[in-house]
Amino acid sequence: MNLVDRATRKAESAELYEELREGISVSFNGGEIETAGSEAVRGRALRVVSGGKLGFASTAGGSDEALLESALVAASHGDPAPFPFTGRNGATQPVPVLDPTVAQIGVDTLIGWGEEAIQQIRDEFPELIVNASLSRGTAAVGVRTSAGAACEERRSYLSMSVSAEQIRKGDIWSVYASAAVRRAEDLDRDHLVGDLLRQLRWGREIVAAPTGTPPVLFLPTGVPVLLLPLMVGFSGMSVFLGTSPLKGRLGETAFDPRLSITDDGVIPYGPRSRSFDDEGVPTDRLPLVTAGVIQNFYYDLRAASLTKTRSTGNGMKGSPLGGGGFRVPPGPASRNIVVSPGAGSVDEMVRDLKSGLVVAGVLGLGQGNVQSGAFSNNVGTGFAVKDGKVVGRVKNTMIAGNAYDVLKDGIQAIGGQAEWVFGGLALPPILAEKVSVVTQ
Amino acid sequence: MEDRLREAVARSHADYTEARWEQATRSRVAFQRDQLMALESGEEAGGIVRCLVKGAWGIAVFTDPADLPRKVEEATHLARTASGHVADPVALAPAQVVEARHEGQMKRDFRGVPLDEKRRLAEAYNKLVLAHSPQIASSSVRYTDSWRRTIYANSEGTYVEQGIPDVTLMIAAVARKNGDIQQAFESLGYAAGFDRVQGKEEEARKAAQRAVDLLSAKPVQGGTYTVVLDPDLAGVFIHEAFGHICEADFLLKNEPMRRVMQLGTPFGVESLNVVDDGYRAGERGNTPYDDEGVPWQRAHLIKNGVLTGLMHSRATAHKMNAVPTGNARAVSWEHDPIVRMRNTYIEPGTATLDEMLQGIERGLYACAAFGGQTEFEQFTFSAAYGHEIVDGVIGPMVRDVVLTGNVFHTLQNIERIGNDFKLEGSSGGCGKGGQWPLPTTTGAPHVRVRNVTVGGR
Repeated sequence: MNLVDRATRKAESAELYEELREGISVSFNGGEIETAGSEAVRGRALRVVSGGKLGFASTAGGSDEALLESALVAASHGDPAPFPFTGRNGATQPVPVLDPTVAQIGVDTLIGWGEEAIQQIRDEFPELIVNASLSRGTAAVGVRTSAGAACEERRSYLSMSVSAEQIRKGDIWSVYASAAVRRAEDLDRDHLVGDLLRQLRWGREIVAAPTGTPPVLFLPTGVPVLLLPLMVGFSGMSVFLGTSPLKGRLGETAFDPRLSITDDGVIPYGPRSRSFDDEGVPTDRLPLVTAGVIQNFYYDLRAASLTKTRSTGNGMKGSPLGGGGFRVPPGPASRNIVVSPGAGSVDEMVRDLKSGLVVAGVLGLGQGNVQSGAFSNNVGTGFAVKDGKVVGRVKNTMIAGNAYDVLKDGIQAIGGQAEWVFGGLALPPILAEKVSVVTQ
Repeated sequence: MEDRLREAVARSHADYTEARWEQATRSRVAFQRDQLMALESGEEAGGIVRCLVKGAWGIAVFTDPADLPRKVEEATHLARTASGHVADPVALAPAQVVEARHEGQMKRDFRGVPLDEKRRLAEAYNKLVLAHSPQIASSSVRYTDSWRRTIYANSEGTYVEQGIPDVTLMIAAVARKNGDIQQAFESLGYAAGFDRVQGKEEEARKAAQRAVDLLSAKPVQGGTYTVVLDPDLAGVFIHEAFGHICEADFLLKNEPMRRVMQLGTPFGVESLNVVDDGYRAGERGNTPYDDEGVPWQRAHLIKNGVLTGLMHSRATAHKMNAVPTGNARAVSWEHDPIVRMRNTYIEPGTATLDEMLQGIERGLYACAAFGGQTEFEQFTFSAAYGHEIVDGVIGPMVRDVVLTGNVFHTLQNIERIGNDFKLEGSSGGCGKGGQWPLPTTTGAPHVRVRNVTVGGR
């Protein structure tokens, strides 16, 4: 008998989440392969409603009995279940998320790709220490409930990251580029290496950062500085708890009219695309901001029920910035966040700048009072622009501001080319003002 | 499982093989405002095999114990495949063969505390926060405990069984006035029992009051300041800014960085002493035996301002002619051990807080940490709150205090080291190489540093 049926002998209802992750990975240290690994991990999480109360338990390698017993114990001390589990779904269109060729990529191939990227960088910058890591695999995910939901899906993943470090006495700096895709053909290794090389070329000289409130060009890898507060603010749970500054403002023009943001779960082969969320709710496209106007918040079952609305299929174990896995209960989190592009390439945006700062990445993302929108970060990778040209990289520089202010009154331009960053955010570059820059 | 593990590593054809099987028993209670967001207890188990063949590592992670022999073969095969590409082979420093069993001590064993009592503890703190002031809009209280039982065997004959307790408490308050939202928290963590997180009502009130106070605090003005770090923040500073670059795995295949981190190099003022300690009773970073079976040592990183040691795994110790320090740690059975910190601290000096404030015309008193991050010499960490210092006196509260700098310069810019000391494990943990959250402890006295860059408007 399956676990959901067994659970419903002792509880009113049950939901079982299962994942089987199988894959391989390689990591390079100092330009050569150091470790090749494999994983085959089966994790499960069970939620039950027993005596009207909700209980949760998870396990890897444990027995059905122990998992059920843990969930029942949790329920016996729990609170009334604020929501029912997902029932039989309507007919949904499955989202393509499995590329079977990914599973055929061998360790040799991954090693070869890593070596090739390292060589390309060393050809131009022989003195650099280059590291890389690559992984590929498949996750088989299933959600079944006693209310009749039965979803199963295999999702492939393929990721690559490369970093290069320049180490001189008194001046150490590093650059980083990464990609996470579901389909082998979407891994553009030349683009990834090209991105890294561009940063390295830009950074040959150390220059003074413009200070005060210069125009700041956030490259796609830097835009999460502005977006992270929104990812918290648009969460239905933040809205329910009253910690979101967006609460009660649906329909309001809270952002620049050029800004449109969609949380899209159904982009074919999108890095966080899926046919159903971790509670078995079908995913969809959810406009968050259209032309500056707040359209929707995102909800899992719990937040939806507490705010008397419907789940938007955003019940996720973990956010694009990490965490998650079978161990954690689902919560509202974004699927693929897509910011609509504007016009112009990065090069063109730089060309139009008389003086400014380019931010490719920061240290300390998410530290501080994210809910209020405040950010204050060390510019980990940043460059100064003078008279339309990048003149070099900056050091010991900090940016600060409030993301809600910047995205309302501080956008000068949105670039025309969105790029996938952080495995689940499709972001164009954004040229902003109202960001203060200080330097030592 | 002990026999299976011993047999599997003994039968391996790799140059070196180790296997680790873990069983973790956990519980967790989380409240947000009036909602019980999580209440759970459970157990999980999984294993990892690591093999060295001709200087390359192969690893295999699994959850089905019956797979163990097959996983040894798989890891061997992966290592062999990788070894064909290696020019600078990894080798291991000798380690004493040990046969050991260790269990962390708990006054009140949390495994015997009913889930209901854990719930009531968290709920009581949560209520204190919510009732503190009408300006408190929300709260977050989280209790966790885990008993991590690991058994470890390697092909040299070492066998270690350990039980490591871990208990944490996080109390956060969110205050709201008009559109402004401020948060404050208290965060504790120990390698100890349930008793260590009981009686923390004062912490709950402190968090709530601070969130309310922050509503009327001004954002800090960006610029360069003389900063007095409180012990919490100074501890995070030494972990983030300096500790990470003393983890020898990133020097392993990095010749230029090894030159920068040459032992004997003066790194800071003469009064500066920094230690990473593998065992201090009840502390969260405790690692009696690391995940290579190496017993703990105290790593003296800086003595009298001079770099005297690094943190090592067996591989890095071999490369740098050092002794393994017991710093090879894995966050769970899903990961291989990498070089990590344990209980890392600045030793106390001689100055009183008053002496440290003297002579500061315009400075900052930066307190408690939201977190921090480092990238080689660049580091950043955010204070939970701060105060202006004007003419040697601690003044009004300021918020959004984020400090940044270059670690080499900053260590030289330390002006005074306090005569007090606080070692604290937080409820969070350290992240590195995809392994998070690893229990660590940081500690320090008050520390005064000149010329620190502070972000802000």
